[in-house]
Amino acid sequence: MALKILDNIRWLTPANKENQGEHPEIVVSSRIRLARNIDTIPFEMKMKNKDARHLLELTQSAIKQRLQGKFYEIKKLTPLEKESLLECHLISPGFIKKDSPTGVFINDKRNISVMINEEDHLRIQGLSGGLNLINLSEKVFDVEEVFGDELGYAFNENYGFLTSCPTNLGTGLRASVILHLPGLVFTNEVDKVLKGALQIGIAVRGIYGEGSEIKGSLFQISNQYTLGLKEEDLIEQIRKLIHMIIDIELKARDVILKKAHYEFEDKVFRSLGVLKSARIISSDEVLNLLSALRFGIGMGIIKDISLDLVNELLIVSRPANIQLYYGMVLEEHERDIRRAEYIRNRLNNPGAN
Amino acid sequence: MLCDDCKKHPATIFFKEVLPDRTVELHLCEQCAAKRGLISTKKMSPLEVMHKLLKEKDARDAEIICPVCYLSLAEFKRSGRFGCSHCINAFDPHIKELIKKIHHSDKHIGRKSASGRKRSIEIYWLRKELKKALEQEAYEEAARIRDRLKDYGVEDIG
Repeated sequence: MALKILDNIRWLTPANKENQGEHPEIVVSSRIRLARNIDTIPFEMKMKNKDARHLLELTQSAIKQRLQGKFYEIKKLTPLEKESLLECHLISPGFIKKDSPTGVFINDKRNISVMINEEDHLRIQGLSGGLNLINLSEKVFDVEEVFGDELGYAFNENYGFLTSCPTNLGTGLRASVILHLPGLVFTNEVDKVLKGALQIGIAVRGIYGEGSEIKGSLFQISNQYTLGLKEEDLIEQIRKLIHMIIDIELKARDVILKKAHYEFEDKVFRSLGVLKSARIISSDEVLNLLSALRFGIGMGIIKDISLDLVNELLIVSRPANIQLYYGMVLEEHERDIRRAEYIRNRLNNPGAN
Repeated sequence: MLCDDCKKHPATIFFKEVLPDRTVELHLCEQCAAKRGLISTKKMSPLEVMHKLLKEKDARDAEIICPVCYLSLAEFKRSGRFGCSHCINAFDPHIKELIKKIHHSDKHIGRKSASGRKRSIEIYWLRKELKKALEQEAYEEAARIRDRLKDYGVEDIG
């Protein structure tokens, strides 16, 4: 079964602009995830393979009755397809490493995915481009209610939704947002701003989850506490912080442009030049060049390239995606050649797809 | 700019101190600043808080056992994971402080779980019963189960 990458990133490059969140020039994407477990089934720690299979059957039955989308059993996917789902942010890094029976449901609009038998029985997540947490949470709770109704959640009056790990108890809600902060990186203010976030219980990490590196001036910001606050207050706390960071970032960008307008314009156009002309390019180099390009679009320096296209390039140029895009397994060197070709084609014919 | 101390990592923290006779400026990376005691080491994440607290063991931990999944408190402290939805009640008095320190709260005030109709679970067991009835050629029983499945709106009855 072929997974169409461009379909899998429709949440980030929507045809319908109503689904786009605010400030897409700074906020790359938003995600809300809920951790849920089924009352009558042992948690991951005590789960046997037969329990895991049982849960897969139950969820599939619930999906069939009530939801529109596709269900994939992870072990039936090729290694490339698994990596690709990860690169498209539809599944988590820990999920592909699991040996037990696992599955993922992805809705027709490709903006909701449900991992089954992750660390918790269900990890229900909604994805969107831009800052879009409130809208997203409504969609995620619609799906959450279906599974709750069909299967019955583990819940306790004091501790809320019961999770495998105590750090997710309560709401089981993690709201995370990926920010592009080249202004703050350049003016060296980024550490100060992000340390402030840490003090109020908000975590900052690289874009592929815990322990991943920070590349291309991209930062992931998410709430750490899940118990003791209402869902809407958790979301509001993050939203407020993001708006504050956006303001500081915009100010930093103004300073940069005033101080070194030509230097930055030069950097943006050189980056575009490399992307449009390179014959061999690594995915890390792409991340940094796209960072300059995104900055250029945000500042109005570049007008004929859309942020949607930058988002597409960002994800499709990842190692597994580029192979799936070309429909073949490629060695690293060959991958770098094909990646350069794909990016050239897309930037020189932005309308075509 | 690289850290003045280790000359390896980028300097991210800048100190300026004005002394009577001179001004001292230091450009340090986070680790070196922490080593000099100039900043408190990073605030611990909930996960780090949990793992630190789980190291506090008690001789009786092995005797406190969840009656449903048989996970002991000792095992919970080793893995930091619950075994089922009943563990939290079985361990409650012993882990209340832990939860409070992780989240700075010990009371959920968010959404509640609607008492689900659990239709999918019901359907799952009805399908199993139907299969068994058919194997045993208990056709009247099978017809009854089919009707119940139809009541649930299930169409593809095997």
